[in-house]
Amino acid sequence: MILKGQKRKLEPEDREASDRSSPTWESQRQFVFSVSLNKYQRGQELPEPSLRRSVLIANTLRQIALEKHGEWPRDSALMSGEPATPPTNRSPSEDEDWGSAESDFSLSAAISSILTALDSTIDGAPQAALRTPLRSLENLPESAGDVAKPGYVNDVNMEDLFQEVDASLLGRVGYPAEEELVCYLPPFSSASSNFKCLPSFSSFSPLSSSSSPDSASFSGPNQSREAFELEHLMEILVES
Amino acid sequence: ADIISTVEFNHTGELLATGDKGGRVVIFQREPESKSEPFSQGEYNVYSTFQSHEPEFDYLKSLEIEEKINKIRWLPQQNAAHFLLSTNDKTIKLWKVSERDKRPEGYNLKDEEGRIKDISTVTSLQVPVLKPMDLMVEVSPRRVFANAHTYHINSISVNSDYETYMSADDLRINLWHLDITDRSFNIVDIKPANMEDLTEVITAAEFHPLHCNLFVYSSSKGTLRLCDMREAALCDKHSKLFEEPEDPSARSFFSEIISSVSDVKFSHSGRYLLTRDYLTAKVWDLNMESKPLETYQVHDYLRSKLCSLYENDCIFDKFECAWNGSDSVIMTGAYNNFFRMFDRNTKRDVTLEASRESSKPRAILKPRRVCATGGKRRKDDISVDSLDFTKKILHTAWHPNENIIAIAATNNLYIFQDKLNSEMH
Repeated sequence: MILKGQKRKLEPEDREASDRSSPTWESQRQFVFSVSLNKYQRGQELPEPSLRRSVLIANTLRQIALEKHGEWPRDSALMSGEPATPPTNRSPSEDEDWGSAESDFSLSAAISSILTALDSTIDGAPQAALRTPLRSLENLPESAGDVAKPGYVNDVNMEDLFQEVDASLLGRVGYPAEEELVCYLPPFSSASSNFKCLPSFSSFSPLSSSSSPDSASFSGPNQSREAFELEHLMEILVES
Repeated sequence: ADIISTVEFNHTGELLATGDKGGRVVIFQREPESKSEPFSQGEYNVYSTFQSHEPEFDYLKSLEIEEKINKIRWLPQQNAAHFLLSTNDKTIKLWKVSERDKRPEGYNLKDEEGRIKDISTVTSLQVPVLKPMDLMVEVSPRRVFANAHTYHINSISVNSDYETYMSADDLRINLWHLDITDRSFNIVDIKPANMEDLTEVITAAEFHPLHCNLFVYSSSKGTLRLCDMREAALCDKHSKLFEEPEDPSARSFFSEIISSVSDVKFSHSGRYLLTRDYLTAKVWDLNMESKPLETYQVHDYLRSKLCSLYENDCIFDKFECAWNGSDSVIMTGAYNNFFRMFDRNTKRDVTLEASRESSKPRAILKPRRVCATGGKRRKDDISVDSLDFTKKILHTAWHPNENIIAIAATNNLYIFQDKLNSEMH
């Protein structure tokens, strides 16, 4: 925890912040989102993350993700931060947001899966950890889907890297990212098949404005969903 | 490692125990009042110090288990010895504190220093007699209750049946018998089947002071659940759910975080509940679940600063709260070494400071005031911007019968007494 010192500056956040449509609200929302993401990840790096703190931060992230599409959740189930509310539960007037609801769902699912990894740490069960993406390559389980497509399986883990790396790139949109991302990769101890995924980086560049079409090339609903949620996570981060 | 992490008076108020981050427990005893020195009556002096918990290493998960004492609870006294429970994140220990003020003298085979005597020098036999000696306080661990919690223990509470107690971690509450250490019974489990669905954790739990079948636990979402152990073996379903509906106009990104209950205490009468969340303290009537009976603003001037407090993690601080003996006054801590007391009857409140500069021994504490930004500033007021957020009073305790309070300010313990008859009765 980094304390900012004794003197506290008055933040000009009171009156404008209560007006939801104002740009201040939007910027504060982005700020809280990035701070929350940062906090969550830093908390996970601790040997023993505090469960209460992680849950509170994750709930705040979910709430921001839900609000992202301009809906003020009226449903009490949403108020309590339930991430998995199916779109059919929403009122008919919100049907046009169905597409975005699914992306909220997938973003929430991304956050939820981070929580699962947290539990696996606490319970001591070994899992391919989203929590420590830089180590995920070494932890890659053999049974992870298609042995016939080693390149694609490794691509999925690259996405996990992106989730980690994106927050740190938040302030530097416009910087050529591919080379930089490569240097975040851990030294590969396993076979050269890992290197096959490097050329496919271009389709996952966080700076590309084109959304998902390339990710649809994956087979398997699970991995495509992860690609989908990655895209949306990046969109939200890059939008600021 | 000297940071005090818990403070607790025993049932008579004669003893005061503190636990610290280094796993040590220090017990203070109140000096008996003597007519010869009226001013030294009722002062607390160190009675005993011992190491309760040591740092441990969990080899299975490669994690170090902190030795910090999270909570101490005294058992009601049943004989000459005192018993207390102390807990860190994973293990609860029962300690016996006893006095020895006599020792046998006049052994036949040993001399005064304990060396074996030469038998040829023994000409007559004598019976050893008990002679008074300097008081010695002996502390010994009587029970160790281990390996029952996967998550971090945040509360322990002794039942009014004096035979059982409960321990609560983030997701589960276990019931123990004081004599049985190899088994505990799980009475609450809120861990979802899929950890992805986890949105709420247990933050505190306490038994009802009179009804041995009732207990309450609070959550990170600001709810309180009263459970009756007679209803079912597993009390996942609550008997009563206390929750205040959210004010939609006051909603912000941090609404949930500031609603997280950090402490819950039954009143001595058992009729009311006192809860503390980040900005307020609330008194609930056990018979009314829809909203609290009374809400007290502890430091509402922080409401506009929540974003910064979230950034520097202060928003996650867990403040405790306390009742006075007659349930008429409640007390809780705040920042800048301030603590607040609210009189429920007169509706008056006071802010006091626990610091060396502002409290000489036997001097009367001066009430402090925090002036909100833009408000009228009086002399000696502190402005919100100059509050020291590193000086937080998280742990406070009130003597069960008298107006004596114990305040833990980081690594200092302050004990304040109300000598004169005060308005707060």
